[in-house]
Amino acid sequence: MKAHIAVISLIVVGLVLIAGCTDEQASAEQLKIGVVASMTGPASTTGKDIWQSAQLAADEINADGGVYVRELGEKIPIRLIQGDDESTREGGQKAVSRMITQDRVDILVGGFSSAVVTAHQSIVAEHKVPYIITGASTPVITRRTDVNTSYMFHHAPTTDDSGGQTTLFINDTIRPAINARFGFPEDRPLRLAILYQDSPYGTGHQTAIKDTIERENLPITIVTEVAFKMGESDYRTVLTGIKRADPDVVYVAAFLNEQIPIETQARRDVGLNKIFTAVEPNDDPDFYKGVGRYGEYSIIQSRFSPYTVPKGPTEAASKKFVEDFATKFGGFPGMMGVATYEGVYIAAQAVENAGTLDKDAVREALANLEMPQMVEAMVNQTISFSPDFRESKFELTMEQLFWDETAGETRPKIVWPSSLKDADFVIPDWYEPGRA
Amino acid sequence: MDLTPGIILSVLFWGLYAGCIYILLATGLNLIFGVMKVVNFAHGQLLMIGAYVTFTFFALSGFNPYVLLAASVPILIIIGVTIERLCFRPILGTGKLNEIFISIGLIYLLENAAALIWSDEWRFIHSPYEAITIPLGGMKVPVDYFIIIATTAAILIALYLFLKRTPLGHAIRATSQNRKGAMLVGINVERMDMLSFGIGAGLAGAAGTLWVVSGQVFNPYMGSIPAVKAFAIVIIGGLGSIPGAIAGGLILGLAENVTIFTIGGAWKDAIAFLILIIVLIFRPTGLFGEAGE
Repeated sequence: MKAHIAVISLIVVGLVLIAGCTDEQASAEQLKIGVVASMTGPASTTGKDIWQSAQLAADEINADGGVYVRELGEKIPIRLIQGDDESTREGGQKAVSRMITQDRVDILVGGFSSAVVTAHQSIVAEHKVPYIITGASTPVITRRTDVNTSYMFHHAPTTDDSGGQTTLFINDTIRPAINARFGFPEDRPLRLAILYQDSPYGTGHQTAIKDTIERENLPITIVTEVAFKMGESDYRTVLTGIKRADPDVVYVAAFLNEQIPIETQARRDVGLNKIFTAVEPNDDPDFYKGVGRYGEYSIIQSRFSPYTVPKGPTEAASKKFVEDFATKFGGFPGMMGVATYEGVYIAAQAVENAGTLDKDAVREALANLEMPQMVEAMVNQTISFSPDFRESKFELTMEQLFWDETAGETRPKIVWPSSLKDADFVIPDWYEPGRA
Repeated sequence: MDLTPGIILSVLFWGLYAGCIYILLATGLNLIFGVMKVVNFAHGQLLMIGAYVTFTFFALSGFNPYVLLAASVPILIIIGVTIERLCFRPILGTGKLNEIFISIGLIYLLENAAALIWSDEWRFIHSPYEAITIPLGGMKVPVDYFIIIATTAAILIALYLFLKRTPLGHAIRATSQNRKGAMLVGINVERMDMLSFGIGAGLAGAAGTLWVVSGQVFNPYMGSIPAVKAFAIVIIGGLGSIPGAIAGGLILGLAENVTIFTIGGAWKDAIAFLILIIVLIFRPTGLFGEAGE
């Protein structure tokens, strides 16, 4: 009996050692990228988009021979490891811990939802793994001081970026158009209502709007600010309160599942005939399908759209990415997907620049990265991370939705900035301005 | 804009509409509890399935979504009966902990099954009547909301007549009032369990249909919050009391909307529990509950 136990123990120890050796050998010949994505739970649509886009990038790089690592003197393939955060903070912590300690990833990419990402940042900081965050939008993730964020790089517009740009657009374009159309004095301040999700994402937009108004001294008066619970579906009374405040424009900081009922219930149920603005995650085929005619003439801040491509140097790359994604997976990639696609290329470039898989060296390479823009238009046409908070900067656009009889849905046209616009901003006939 | 009677009427009307969905959900929950004394935490997931059944039939047939109540209610009754037979009957009387874990397990099971069948994308439909409005105190209210309120009233009247005027209804009420007594007079209480669970699930299915028709979005994970509200209503109205569920649903619908209008949307969920605490302090058995239930 004792002999049997000894033999079994030896076999088990042997298998463990063999498994360990195999893993070590494999890790030396592969660039292991952990993709943090919500594969299950409420954010799984975005999560699948992130994962599939990462796969597309990895397949393209591997088809080209892989990533050249000077230290090894050869090109090595990318191996993606999926980390399902289950759309929860706890799920994110589990997934990131596993990828770092068991899968021993060289670098992390992805991370959707500011709340989920902020919850697992301390684990990343403790193990000093470079992390290219392509989904979460709060600027806090690389600016917080309670966690060492020096290994984290933010490749997605922050709420400061998108909130600020939208506020500037409202002042530059919508305010003069309303004043001219209704014979108001040119200096009449625009009456703005803010309807925001009660989360870091929503409050980030709220803060960005206020900061921009104050910093730029804009003639915009905030007439009401209303928060709603994340995932809410009934906005009728909230919108009735906004109607009472009588704004010119309603700035909504909400996800797609919230933006659709907000615009639908505002126009259909409450008779709130105002211009609505939506933030970038809503530029998605499901939004156009869901909002129907009630989205007509509303505004979406965007950087990658399913139905319009900004003219310029990224036009061809954008079309190719969409076609390749559709061929491989079917359907349309979202903007979290495209940022993750770029994120995998950024990771590969950083490893090539570092010439090693050493995490400190890769972090340094990311900090000093200068690579040409890919699918999304970047400031100075270059992907690089700011020296202070390690944020890349995007060229953002504002789109207005117009009814398309052929599609039976609205379709976007870029109305801002002037260098990229396809059409002028239009005030619809049904529009009712706030009080003079 | 001043606080006009039209604005006040709007807030109350939206409260009434919200109350209708709550009432259907809470009435079903209370019927099940009244008869079986089982707390089904997965009741909100039955609403979710009702929403998907309506969505699927609407997408496949293009039928009027209100007519699809004739599909969602029977299908949910069958699902309810199946759940009762397979999950709750075997553990009935074995302790509350078993019931709680069975119903929590059902939440995950039903959500994952729905995600597998329909995917976990957000869904929505547009009612064919959404462009038709009826003037009401300065508002133009889409006719859908009047249909939803009328449908809820019709369902509740039908349930009342069934429970009060039919032998089967009498048997359900007898089981609810005194299970042992009902058995002694020859009522098949297990059959009443099955029937009440089926009717409760059917009411959740009706709530799901009305949820969809009113243009609300839904996905497999949308059932938990309505279920929590339904539980609060059941406790506010009184455990096992159907009039209590109706009164509780109306109170909560109105209170939530007045709170949103006066304090803000972030307080919407908190108000349910504030009311619950106040009711429990002054009337621990709920508004319509009886001591010992």
